[in-house]
Amino acid sequence: MAEYRTHMKIIGDILATTRDELQDENGASVTYLIRKANISHSRISRILKTLVSQGLLEQLDTQGSNKYKISQSGREFLQAYYTFTDFADNFGLNI
Amino acid sequence: MEFLLENILNLIGFLVGLVIGIMAIIGFRNTGSPTLFRLTIAFFSISLGFFVVWAGYMVEDFVIKSGSIERWVQTLGIAIQTVGYFFIAFSHSIKSFFPKSRYFRSIGVFPLFLISSVQLEHIFRSVSFILLAYGAIETMLSYFENKNKGAISVAVGLALLALGEFLGWYSFVFPESILYSASMTIKIGGLIALFIPVSKVPLTKIKFDEGLE
Repeated sequence: MAEYRTHMKIIGDILATTRDELQDENGASVTYLIRKANISHSRISRILKTLVSQGLLEQLDTQGSNKYKISQSGREFLQAYYTFTDFADNFGLNI
Repeated sequence: MEFLLENILNLIGFLVGLVIGIMAIIGFRNTGSPTLFRLTIAFFSISLGFFVVWAGYMVEDFVIKSGSIERWVQTLGIAIQTVGYFFIAFSHSIKSFFPKSRYFRSIGVFPLFLISSVQLEHIFRSVSFILLAYGAIETMLSYFENKNKGAISVAVGLALLALGEFLGWYSFVFPESILYSASMTIKIGGLIALFIPVSKVPLTKIKFDEGLE
């Protein structure tokens, strides 16, 4: 059975992908993020828009296509996300 | 002896609840997670509940000097703690029963409790027992899924609090027995077990939101 992921976990997966698995220094493409984060195009588009507006991701316009890189705020958010995932895990809960 | 144990229990309960509540609110402010928001309400309620009972004992001992705590103060404190236990159990019920339903998440699910003619304190204690036992079982089940050792400690802590709550409720039947002292000792053990894994969370790595400073 497929594991249910909370909205927070999907955001964590996207940020972790842009931090750890960049194809090149220009950032990750939407197609790459869809494959890695395993969600639909329409959903990831909404999430990416939110993450960019919140300053957690940087949107780069390279050769006519949008690519995404994690920002310093995004790295700090990801650190907090991992810390408090452990915290909630202790109570048997998912954040 | 009972007075001393009661004070130790309520002070530890106040401090443990406060520390875990502060950690949960820091987590909520940094991540926006609704789970952490519910834990914040839960542990601040538990902390406030213990504080109310402790304050009741202090006022009785140093101001009123009537020999026993005002019944309504004790009932109020236990009721506030029950709200906290409810939010812990509620978080588990959302995870277990409604993982995908936005509707149930938005309205919440309030269980129906039948109120009899017995004292309110008895009702709150028995409701707390049910909520704590449910929380302990769900936490232990999550350990079997994730193998997170901290979950064992929290499950044991919630189970000890449940047992303490049960013995505290049962001591009304045998008021002069050792049951009430045993209940408080077990609850102190439960609070310590609850705090152990949380004390290991490395908050020093977190760069806090500016709004928190």
